[in-house]
Amino acid sequence: MLAYTVRRILVSIPVLIASTFIVFLVVINAGDPVANFATSRQPPPSKAAVAAFARHIHADEPAVQRYWNWITGVLHGDWGPSVQPNLDIGHDLFTRFRVTVTLVASAMIIALVLAVIFGVFSAIRQYTAADYTITFFGFLFLAMPVFWFAVLLKQAGIWFNEQTGSQFLGTIGEKSPYLEVDTTWNEFTDHIGHLVLPTITLALVSFASWTRYTRASMLEVLGSDYVRLARAKGLRRRTVLVRHALRTALIPLATVTALDVAIILGGAVITETIFQWHGMGEMLVQSASTVDVYRTMAWLLLSAVVVIGFNLVADLLYAVLDPRIRYD
Amino acid sequence: MRAQTPALTRGLALAAGLVLALAACSSSGGGGGGSSKNGSAGLTSCNTQGKANTCNSGATKSGGTFTYVLEKNIQQWNLQDTNGNTFENAEALEVVLPQVFVPMPDFTVSLNKDLVTSATQTGTSPQTIVYKINPKAVWNDGTPFSADDFMYYWRTNNGKDCPPPPASDSTQTKGCLPESTAGYDRIKSLTASDGGRTVTVVMAKPYSDWKSLFGGGYPFYPAHVAEKVSGAKAGDAAHMTAAQMTKGWQYFQKNPPTKYATAGPYKMSQWADNDHATYVPDPKWWGATKPSLQRLIFKVISDATQEPTALRNNEVQAIYPQPEVDLVNQVKSIPNVTYNIGNGLQWEHFDLNLHNPVIGKYTALRRAMFTAISIKDIVSKTVGQFDKNVKQLGNHNFVPGQAGYQDLVTPTGQGSGDLAKAKKYLTDAKFTGVGTALKTPDGKAVGPFNCRYTTGNQIRQNECQILQSDLGNLGIKVTIKPIGAADLGTVLTGHQYDIIVFAWVAAPFPTSGAQQNWSTGGGGNYGGYSDKKVDSLVTQAIGQTDPAKAASLLNQADKIMVNAAYVLPLYQKPTFLAVQTRFVNMRNNSTNVGPPYNTAEWGLKK
Repeated sequence: MLAYTVRRILVSIPVLIASTFIVFLVVINAGDPVANFATSRQPPPSKAAVAAFARHIHADEPAVQRYWNWITGVLHGDWGPSVQPNLDIGHDLFTRFRVTVTLVASAMIIALVLAVIFGVFSAIRQYTAADYTITFFGFLFLAMPVFWFAVLLKQAGIWFNEQTGSQFLGTIGEKSPYLEVDTTWNEFTDHIGHLVLPTITLALVSFASWTRYTRASMLEVLGSDYVRLARAKGLRRRTVLVRHALRTALIPLATVTALDVAIILGGAVITETIFQWHGMGEMLVQSASTVDVYRTMAWLLLSAVVVIGFNLVADLLYAVLDPRIRYD
Repeated sequence: MRAQTPALTRGLALAAGLVLALAACSSSGGGGGGSSKNGSAGLTSCNTQGKANTCNSGATKSGGTFTYVLEKNIQQWNLQDTNGNTFENAEALEVVLPQVFVPMPDFTVSLNKDLVTSATQTGTSPQTIVYKINPKAVWNDGTPFSADDFMYYWRTNNGKDCPPPPASDSTQTKGCLPESTAGYDRIKSLTASDGGRTVTVVMAKPYSDWKSLFGGGYPFYPAHVAEKVSGAKAGDAAHMTAAQMTKGWQYFQKNPPTKYATAGPYKMSQWADNDHATYVPDPKWWGATKPSLQRLIFKVISDATQEPTALRNNEVQAIYPQPEVDLVNQVKSIPNVTYNIGNGLQWEHFDLNLHNPVIGKYTALRRAMFTAISIKDIVSKTVGQFDKNVKQLGNHNFVPGQAGYQDLVTPTGQGSGDLAKAKKYLTDAKFTGVGTALKTPDGKAVGPFNCRYTTGNQIRQNECQILQSDLGNLGIKVTIKPIGAADLGTVLTGHQYDIIVFAWVAAPFPTSGAQQNWSTGGGGNYGGYSDKKVDSLVTQAIGQTDPAKAASLLNQADKIMVNAAYVLPLYQKPTFLAVQTRFVNMRNNSTNVGPPYNTAEWGLKK
């Protein structure tokens, strides 16, 4: 498996180079940051200032040279200049990545736990009121646009705060700018209060689809011969469900989860914008709207690495979870 | 199957119930307490004549935290630098850094008597201005505010003593790039007397907007800090080298004011990048008004649509977003919030591209186009939906409320939607196909023209649609073409439009702006307008020491521009301030400094 992993990583390198080059060409042709600089200030900057800005962001260089300088710079830890003054793209990227990982990881954990619980429950209570209810909500959450649900959830959060006379649930940012009483406990609850609404928003769509996977997979396993045999042997129902059926049923979910990381990262763009989390999503929106070439590329490169990495994890998980599969 | 039907029904009923409960939560959250009547008492009088600077006043009590929204992060802290010249930077810095004249909500400027006891023009030939520094004025590290601070300000902003980086400098860091050298490049000498407490400025050429010098939204930076970080001799900004000034300039670019001495009612105690600035009262503040808030926070919220929910959830106490119908209605439903829709210095306008051979050639065509456009319709179908006070703007340099404002546009019929008059312009100029398919006197088709607006801006899309309909009545076909969010600059500088709608920010000091927008080759003159008489009048206006004469010269130039029908002013863009009623003394300052022009006065209502 080690050889396979190394081979996959090596194959990923030309994929990354080709994809970043194509995207680089698209991004540098998506707009003209120099013209934006020249027109977005009042009074308009002098011609010297505009020329200086163009030179600063390498806008006066040929595309291939720009790409080469960028990719070799990245290998040396230099992510290139931003259109925003004083912005260290590398620092910005990894600070934001940490924020997004917090959000995405929380959402994935919650979605996974709930998906397994409700998926299994739905499967073993097939065609009951509970199953129909879970199915209904599963499709409802799948159909709901994230931005709409997030706004609805924010209103519900405000309503909750008003009813309880508290300010537990935050709608803006990862934490409050200040705490009246600055204790570790208050800091912890403040973080949790700000995490609740965006996490639910991001988790629900994944929860909905993963519940359906779990349900379908569980139903398939429950109908299989070896489960019937286990029951016939007189094993307790719980033992059959947890040890024999669930373990097998989770194999497709594990791989789907790894593959869905890209979708969740996409959802984070919207969630972060609505809840004003200063993560990767906000970074992409800001970079695209200001035609910040190197900042956009940094986002894309890290996202590509994450997606390629999780695709590899998905493949490896098959082998780990299913003894029938071996990579040579 | 029958046995499962009740289960299905129960499941769906339960699901429907939960959805309704969720919806109920949302509607009760959006409905609010309906106290907009009592809530709007504080700021409603701001639009009454003469009340702009005093509305929402009240005595304050000590304590409380007040959170105000910044709509963008601050990356570069030197407001005097081209790159740092942003509205958010001005808002954040004016709390801690002083300036001589401060733009006020009524568009006048007010002398900052905490900083200087007087600033007087004592002579006109040569123009001489004398500043007397308040003896109590001091930076919060104990260094007295002095003529040295004036000297450093002038020398870094005049474009000569600290010139822009040379082209050979690949890092573009070896020089100063001031946002404007206007006025500073006309100063002949700056001398100190009375132990550095009196500053006398003599101009080489007169400058009408002299009150914009050393202020007008662009505050002082501490010269002694620049001298220290650059290794220059203390208190001797007059002899700083360009390299030393550049070092100081860059220091103020990179460092938030938590790092150096400031001189305001508050000091910035924390800057969390892209999130918030925290200010606390500065014990060294000598000013007449002592701050009463325990803590002042400027919170970055980059998506305006999220601001009303943050206000409702008490996460912020004041917001200053660009108003939209939905946003205003949302705020109206929040209990205990007062709001004001004011008319700002930004103004919306249609521009014609004179590089287009047909548009550029025929003045009669341009006049006809502008006359056929109904601004009344535009207003009623856009900003008029949430602000009934918006009217057609009648000047290219001044807005109502500014001394010098004269309505020069509406008497010509431009913006009236008078189709008969518009058609007469065309028939008199021998155009054919009027009302059907317009052709020039030499038989060329007029149009189709494109009308361009920034994508996602519904108001501007509506404006283009109304223009399309109005010009259709003249026989001119117009196609509407949105501009990508990041492409406005490309379209403007590349002249990739026939008609475009966007906004300009007028300044409290109009003459400098006039040169940029109307003079031949001016930085904001994207449509290529050129008239020697206008150039001459604008240049004369800048060199006038009498503000009334300067305004008169600008209005003479404006009459020529109106007749040329190059830019059609539509209306002043509304600005929108909403504040919780338990706080007082916040006002809608629609100038380049925004509401935080008087943070020392902000506080909890007594």
